[in-house]
Amino acid sequence: MQGTAPTETESAFNRFFTWRRRNYIVAFMFILPALINFTLFRYYPIFSAARSSLYNYSLLGGYRGFIGFDHYIRMWGDEAFWNSLRVTLIYVGAKIPIQVILALALALFLSKQSLGSAIVRSAIMAPLVTSIIVVSIIWALMYHSEQGLFQSVLSSVGLPKMRFISHENRALPSLTVMMIWKDVGFSMIILMAGLKGIPQVYYEAAIVDGANSWQRFWNVTLPLLRPVLMFVLVTQVAFSFQMFAPVYQMTKGGPLESTNVIVHYIYQQGFLFQDMGYASALSMVTLVILLIISYGQMRILDTDY
Amino acid sequence: MENTQDSPNIRRNQVKPVTLRAALTKKVLSIRPLDIVRWIAYFFLVVIFLTPFIWTILASFRQESEILANLFPLSIHTFWPRPDEWTLDHYKTIMSLNEEGARESLRFDRSLLNSFIVSAGVVISSLIFNTLAAFFFSRLPFPRKNVLLIYVIATLFVPVQVTLVPLFIVVRQMGFANTYWAMILPWFASPFVIFALIQFFKEIPYELDEAAIIDGANYVQILRHVIMPLSVPGLITMSLLEFQFIWNLFLWPLIAVSNKNIQVIQVTLALTQTQRTTFWGRRFAGASLASVPVIILFMLLQRYYTEGIAQTGVKG
Repeated sequence: MQGTAPTETESAFNRFFTWRRRNYIVAFMFILPALINFTLFRYYPIFSAARSSLYNYSLLGGYRGFIGFDHYIRMWGDEAFWNSLRVTLIYVGAKIPIQVILALALALFLSKQSLGSAIVRSAIMAPLVTSIIVVSIIWALMYHSEQGLFQSVLSSVGLPKMRFISHENRALPSLTVMMIWKDVGFSMIILMAGLKGIPQVYYEAAIVDGANSWQRFWNVTLPLLRPVLMFVLVTQVAFSFQMFAPVYQMTKGGPLESTNVIVHYIYQQGFLFQDMGYASALSMVTLVILLIISYGQMRILDTDY
Repeated sequence: MENTQDSPNIRRNQVKPVTLRAALTKKVLSIRPLDIVRWIAYFFLVVIFLTPFIWTILASFRQESEILANLFPLSIHTFWPRPDEWTLDHYKTIMSLNEEGARESLRFDRSLLNSFIVSAGVVISSLIFNTLAAFFFSRLPFPRKNVLLIYVIATLFVPVQVTLVPLFIVVRQMGFANTYWAMILPWFASPFVIFALIQFFKEIPYELDEAAIIDGANYVQILRHVIMPLSVPGLITMSLLEFQFIWNLFLWPLIAVSNKNIQVIQVTLALTQTQRTTFWGRRFAGASLASVPVIILFMLLQRYYTEGIAQTGVKG
């Protein structure tokens, strides 16, 4: 590239940076920005959280002394933490099976190509593209204990008014129904693509063998859909475990802590009670729980696939 | 010339109304009870999924008192305003275009603009950096590329909401708290988008790269002139999903930014709701305003959207 004769140092330079190595350096430039992003914004925060979970730490006061595992010990005896974990598990445990079964039913029902099913599919996707805050605001007004749309529907069929998100026992189910309404389209699209991937010949063979539609579903569709179904389960469990915005917007964790899911509890500790150290410790534990759940599900997925 | 040839056909078509009618009658007679059940199910599904939106959008155009007055009993006017009820007041209020809004300094217009700035920043930067990364993984020579791929993909399993508190601490240490950068920088690369783009790029035949190399193209030129033109649908899909993700993001801007002037629409919407009195009309207008951009994009590009989501599950 340069016309001058190579000096001693330049040739040493050239010996080290062979064509291949120079090529590697150029190639590395392509991945460098992404690596910087992941290191700074995804990995470093985890280690940073691990560190601050061992300190008395707040945003205003900064680090105020090393306290070892005190936060974790405190967590063990923290009734509110166990409550938030219980609420989250009940929410996920109720939401996921209903949502996946509904999504599968909808995917089967709407897989037929027609104008009607195309319109319905678009309608089901409307909540999916809308933000969770907008959905929460609309549903909070629909659930309103005096003038909500549901009260209007109830009264039109002759039932008395009923509290939804302000009632201790109904708040979590109300949020669950809303979130299924919002998320079912996502699972449905993936399952539909999975259904499309099943070769038609299997169904034809089953028909030749005299299988009725239920047998075809049970013996052809379900086994072949299994990997996609498992994928939907794994991702939806992980997503739902991190539910936050509806609780923040609609119930603030109440009434009587009945909707205080884990991420909302972390938020309360860190930003409302200014205890970042404890919030970090909670984050670490949640992270570990989620990784264990994901890993467990992946193992099941792996062995059966 | 073609017209003259076509004219007999046109004349023949004029006889059609009779046959069309016969066909329609036949069609109506051939409707099976099962089809009727199917249509009823369609109708109920559309009602379940769209009613909240219809209620929201229509109610945002009528006065507060009228929204509440028409709730009982449930009738068509619970949703559809009477001709004299239409008004733009709520939209004017939340954008400080009238006295009521100016008094409370509601600036939804400002927040909408902020949302657009942040979304544009994230979509453009992520389009650049994720494409570079995916090109690296699918095409470029590098020792132990698998290790790097695992490093990238593993972040998929880090739950975002859970690490937001420590992420905030990091961003604050870097001095980005309360800036647009705080909302853009953490998202300029995404493991999910990189992974999806790798799948797209892998489908492009390697022979095309080789041809370009023989023509003397370097990596950037291959990416620019071979790979990118051939993966436009994939890039559109990913940009769309990225836009929707960032437009609807809530917890992160809530934490990272406390300055009202640069806050995004989702947070502004949520924070103005925490006041004591319930302003139904304003809420409805704000919710409608915050949803319009994503819904328009979704309607224009629904096909890409569906394919994008489908791909995550079936290929991934």
